[in-house]
Amino acid sequence: MVRAYKHEHIYRHPWDRVTTASWRKFTDPDTPAVLSHVLDVHTLSHRLDAASGCLHTVRSITVRSPSLPFFLRRIIGGEAVVCHCIETSVVDPRARSMEIVAVNASLRGLIEVEERSSYQPHPENPEGWTLLRQDTSIRCKPFKALAAVAEKVEQRCVERFQQNSVKGREFVERICKYLEAESSAAAAGATAS
Amino acid sequence: MGFVKSSPASQCADLRTAYHDCFNRWFSERFSKGKCDKEECVAEWEKYRGCLAENLKEKHLRNILLEAEESYFPNKGHDGSRSCFNHQ
Repeated sequence: MVRAYKHEHIYRHPWDRVTTASWRKFTDPDTPAVLSHVLDVHTLSHRLDAASGCLHTVRSITVRSPSLPFFLRRIIGGEAVVCHCIETSVVDPRARSMEIVAVNASLRGLIEVEERSSYQPHPENPEGWTLLRQDTSIRCKPFKALAAVAEKVEQRCVERFQQNSVKGREFVERICKYLEAESSAAAAGATAS
Repeated sequence: MGFVKSSPASQCADLRTAYHDCFNRWFSERFSKGKCDKEECVAEWEKYRGCLAENLKEKHLRNILLEAEESYFPNKGHDGSRSCFNHQ
């Protein structure tokens, strides 16, 4: 079975600031403290397309997986299981759009998670606000005998995913605030000189 | 099952930080504001990528890294009319 849910969030910050904050979400010095489930992030591909002006990036995000039932841990054999996610993004600065698709690369025999996010200027206030839309689907692929338990794992994954998603959005808000403070300080400096 | 117990390529942490710092600055000050007159952070990216190519062991991630290299210049010969290089 597939569980799917949608989420919308309005950032009261302009698009360039929110997308900057979104990049920093996983690379900020505070990331290990705030998003403790994120263990490691690497950029695997980075390409500025000269024809379209779009930036294409692929990153790997290594996260601590939700705790698994005992017998699944035995099947998988790991104590602290880590899970690699692949995040592919396209940023079009002229259209002011940023699209991100994140999928899990690990444990795909058990579960498939896909999260699609888009950051766009908010239609009601395109210069001042940014709309984040997220569509998430989580599909468990159980062995027949394990179906009931798999469903519990799935539910746990959904809960964990939602908690982390909220943490991620809050952190982006926080980074936006300090980017705002930085840019007003820079503007004040420029006026003063 | 495609997972490992330790984080991949921790040897590249410093090169990664140098690249991410450069990238974040470029993205916030230029690219996100539509001022992408030239690609920056190329040296930082090449050093970091070289380190990953040497040290990244996880097979799936490694494949993505190496595939990306092959398609690094896919747009040669395209009409550059929408190029952000020509817009500034």
